[in-house]
Amino acid sequence: MIVMGVETSCDETSVSLVEDGKRVLANEVLSQIDIHKEYGGVVPEIASREHVKGIVFVFDQAMKKANINYKDIDLIAVTAGPGLIGSLLIGINAAKVISLNYGIPIIGIQHIAGHIYANNIEHDMEFPLLALVVSGGHTELVLMESHYDFQKLGETQDDAVGEAYDKVARILGLPYPGGPQVDKLAQQGKDTFSFPRPMLDSGDFNFSFSGLKSKVINTYHNLNQRKATISTPDFCRSFQEAVTDVLVKKTNDAMNLHNVKQVIVAGGVAANQGLREKMRQTITDVPVYFPSIKYCTDNAAMIAVAGYFKYKKEQKADDYLLNGFSRLELK
Amino acid sequence: MQKSWKRLAIDTATKYVYLSLVLNDKEVDSVYEEGLNNHSVTIIPHLVRMLERQQWKLTDINEVIVGVGPGSYTGVRIAVTIAKMIGYLNNIKINRISSIALIASSVSSGTVLSCIDARRGNAFLGLFENTKTKLTRKTQDSLINIESYLTDLEVKPIVTYEGRPNIEKIIHSDLLEVVSDPTALIPNYMQITEAERNKCLR
Repeated sequence: MIVMGVETSCDETSVSLVEDGKRVLANEVLSQIDIHKEYGGVVPEIASREHVKGIVFVFDQAMKKANINYKDIDLIAVTAGPGLIGSLLIGINAAKVISLNYGIPIIGIQHIAGHIYANNIEHDMEFPLLALVVSGGHTELVLMESHYDFQKLGETQDDAVGEAYDKVARILGLPYPGGPQVDKLAQQGKDTFSFPRPMLDSGDFNFSFSGLKSKVINTYHNLNQRKATISTPDFCRSFQEAVTDVLVKKTNDAMNLHNVKQVIVAGGVAANQGLREKMRQTITDVPVYFPSIKYCTDNAAMIAVAGYFKYKKEQKADDYLLNGFSRLELK
Repeated sequence: MQKSWKRLAIDTATKYVYLSLVLNDKEVDSVYEEGLNNHSVTIIPHLVRMLERQQWKLTDINEVIVGVGPGSYTGVRIAVTIAKMIGYLNNIKINRISSIALIASSVSSGTVLSCIDARRGNAFLGLFENTKTKLTRKTQDSLINIESYLTDLEVKPIVTYEGRPNIEKIIHSDLLEVVSDPTALIPNYMQITEAERNKCLR
């Protein structure tokens, strides 16, 4: 079964073709990072404009790469949310046209489900599994007992972890996107600042990064006012240690409680080297999987994989009233 | 032109969603409906129903006419995206048309100032001369304060912000522009984004 994935929820225009939820025939991503870099973050109106500009090109590239005909496609899976509404609607309407033109069923996919299913490309998912979802908009622990069955164990009460990374990067004057920069510098530093580990022992699986973010920013400003020398690598390492300590401990606790067969990490922050190392060092009882870097950031291959499993389970497609939603729960 | 030439016209640049099917220069079906910020949801279902009524398939369409704005509302991108995809998938011609010209075509005759509200007293507007069968442009589309524009005009035109387009008149006008590369088709935003403007001011 060949599934076409379409992802335009934020600042990447992406189209993929994936066979049987596993074999990636094409995964084209037209990134807007260089455009938004100048503004220090994603500008929604510019993102929408870029999606319109690039959408046909990306479809065409993906089809050429996969070397198949549109008539060979069995299902179209498109991100329906959460995301930037103006951006989502470009992908959804383009996908609807293909569906109508060739009579291919279409299915809307929740973006985070896509991030979770990115793992299946390289490692078969075995249930029950625990997924730690970490990105610019999400931080949550999800238990899955079978395909397309998501039980949220806990989530952030305020900022998403990727959001905190971006804010810290910004006060340090690091270029957008800041998360990977903080991670890179952290590799060269030491944990000298002893930042707090929020909600480490809260007894649940919720997170909070807003207080930590404020503490980090205040510390930076205080040191700056006193004209103290700040080691950026040490500062990044200290922040990263605080964040990853919490993420890894909560994941470990949830894993022990639910007796899972594997732990998977999903979302853009899954590319973080510090998190990868600590997770692998701490969780040794069951396999811990991370997608390759290219499948951590937004991409349409993950949407196609999620679409394959959703369609297999539910055996029904959406109709053309399919809409985009800036907020959409994982279910 | 082939014996049976099928056109699809589509526009979502205003609060109305507009679709028209044209067979050999004659409109055979159309939808002109006020939307509730939901063009993205309603447009393809409308298109499906129209195609079913005419017993056409999307792949039967020989040419697409698309309203490209001006404007920067989310809606303007919906029609352009759909038109681009249809043009690309079926390798057919796309003609772009000003959405303001589409509105102007709704008036049967006279000098028409056709407008799309741009908020704060401004409008995207253009002046057109209309007869029963012909529509000609008198001014280029522009973004301007509507009141001061009207004050400066010697002859008072019929001012309109809406109206079911007369696609047959549009087809016979010289207002259609052939899109040489459908891949590169974008709406006529007419304005840079606020973020770009602020960057220029920095």
